[in-house]
Amino acid sequence: MDRSQLHNSIIYLRNFELALKAVWAYKLRSLFVVLAISLGIAALTIIISSIDGAQKKAREVVHWFGPDAVFVLGGDIKSRAVGQRVNTLTWADAKKIEKSLPGAYMVIPMRAVHDVQVKAQHKNINVSVVVGSTANYAEGWNWPLALGRDLNNDDVHRARKVCILGDEPAKQLFPDADPLGKTILINNLAVQVIGVLAYRDFTGGGGRSINNRIIMPITTLTQRFNLDRKYFRALRVKFFHPELMDEHVQNLRALLRYEHNLGPGQADDFTILSAKEILKFLAMLQGSLVIFLGVTAAVAVIVGGFVLANLFYLSVDERKNEIGLKLALGANKLAIRVQFLTEAVILTILGAICGFGLGTLTGQILSGLGIIPIEFSLKVFLISSLSALLIGLIFGLKPANQAANLNPITALKSK
Amino acid sequence: MLIQLKNIHKNFVQGQDEIQVLRDINLDIEQGEFVALQGVSGSGKSTLLHIIGLLDAPSSGQYLLQGKDVSKLSDDELSKLRNSLIGFVFQSFYLVPYITALDNVLLPGLYSKTPRKQLEQRAKELLTQLGLKERMKFKPSQLSGGQQQRVALARALINDPQLILADEPTGQLDSKTSQEIMLLFKKIHAQGKTIILVTHDPVTADFAQRTIQIIDGQIATT
Repeated sequence: MDRSQLHNSIIYLRNFELALKAVWAYKLRSLFVVLAISLGIAALTIIISSIDGAQKKAREVVHWFGPDAVFVLGGDIKSRAVGQRVNTLTWADAKKIEKSLPGAYMVIPMRAVHDVQVKAQHKNINVSVVVGSTANYAEGWNWPLALGRDLNNDDVHRARKVCILGDEPAKQLFPDADPLGKTILINNLAVQVIGVLAYRDFTGGGGRSINNRIIMPITTLTQRFNLDRKYFRALRVKFFHPELMDEHVQNLRALLRYEHNLGPGQADDFTILSAKEILKFLAMLQGSLVIFLGVTAAVAVIVGGFVLANLFYLSVDERKNEIGLKLALGANKLAIRVQFLTEAVILTILGAICGFGLGTLTGQILSGLGIIPIEFSLKVFLISSLSALLIGLIFGLKPANQAANLNPITALKSK
Repeated sequence: MLIQLKNIHKNFVQGQDEIQVLRDINLDIEQGEFVALQGVSGSGKSTLLHIIGLLDAPSSGQYLLQGKDVSKLSDDELSKLRNSLIGFVFQSFYLVPYITALDNVLLPGLYSKTPRKQLEQRAKELLTQLGLKERMKFKPSQLSGGQQQRVALARALINDPQLILADEPTGQLDSKTSQEIMLLFKKIHAQGKTIILVTHDPVTADFAQRTIQIIDGQIATT
């Protein structure tokens, strides 16, 4: 740094104090700029956090779902609207897959009953889903057990009256006691607790916690709720070699089509979901929202920038005397330019702070309503501040240049 | 020689006409002089002061300031000269409205290399000398016309310039206040400064050692 650069830096520093005073002196105008910028930054904050939130959710989904597994549903999701039947997966299908599908090492048929009354020790709760499963439910869903054991083949073959509690019903029914070995009433059927699933941190859609569930042998569930004995609703299949998932899915589809006698041209009567498919589905769901928010944020930021630019043109016009005076007193063009840019940046940074607050608040509300998952981070704050800085510099530059290029005499003489 | 003006002409273009504001000005001013440029409104005296103050450039002719041809200086060099060599006082004071009297006095110092502490000390001394000790923290709007012009005088002196240029410094003041201000100029002159004053008022011009009449853009021969 040579002497004149040092000299310039000192001038900038001194200018900063003056700029702060000017910002404070023209309060109303400053307020409008801050408001306009903060709306833009708020929109930007929300969009970035929601993209981050969507990505975090996607990672959660893959982790939770398992990269080495598929979930097969009866009926084709895409044809559901036209009333296609959903009871298409049979025990014969499950046996066939277990025996002859290459790479598959675990096949777990499942069915579910929703909103079931459960009683224990004078407590009466509503459990959102009771899942009937074959052996190794917890292992099949990569879901660790907090207590006890998983379902085994014996439980299923003998239709034993046992169950595994999800974290939520376990805490509701047995807040202080060890639930293992206790008896609960599921739809008035006495069932013994043999295990408790670990709490799973997953913000599922629809506001329902995935921890609010009870697992029992599929045979017990079918008998008690008098369900169809030939079909089940869904099938979990785990594979060796997750890197070959695409091939596994193709093989599974071919096998099921053959089993279901589907000819060429006929649609699938089942849906195979892999982690990849679920991600695609999530991306589709959130994509439109992200685009909408992105456009809104861009518009809001640009509008904020134009408000800033216009109010600064006004400011330069009103403060011509001040500018002329400073030029006469020995300010060079750079000093004048720096002064106005500094004022612009102070205002946009203030706007960024307000906008970040506003965006965070709005994001919390959106997130709380379950509309969109939001992930806030330092990164979001830094990006917002940086954008504000850029808005200040870009939209402040023309008015600042106009001020710097004023003729000192005309500027002094203007009223 | 502090100032040498040789064959200075200044033309303004107004619509399609070209107006000659200054014609063939030849003027030497020594260091330490107190000069009044006197003339009626529109005579060109203010334009001449702007040229001397490096705020405007002549259309033709040569201006040597401390022997240096100013037409060869860059914008930044001109800014530095205005800052260090020249102090301005204007008819309408031109104080920045949103900062205190003290901050206004500091303003030219902000564009100089002088350390902040030293500047503040000097600004306080100047304001005290000019009788504004109790009003340093006042905003311009809280000061009378005479007080505002005294703040402007202190501002002109903060960088200790050799040359003070005053454009109708008493134009907005009553006669009593005008006299007070002019006595201050005399005092400043007595401290060794060169002062060039523009005025239409012969009474004000009388405070100077030398009065130069400007008539229709020319120096009147006396």
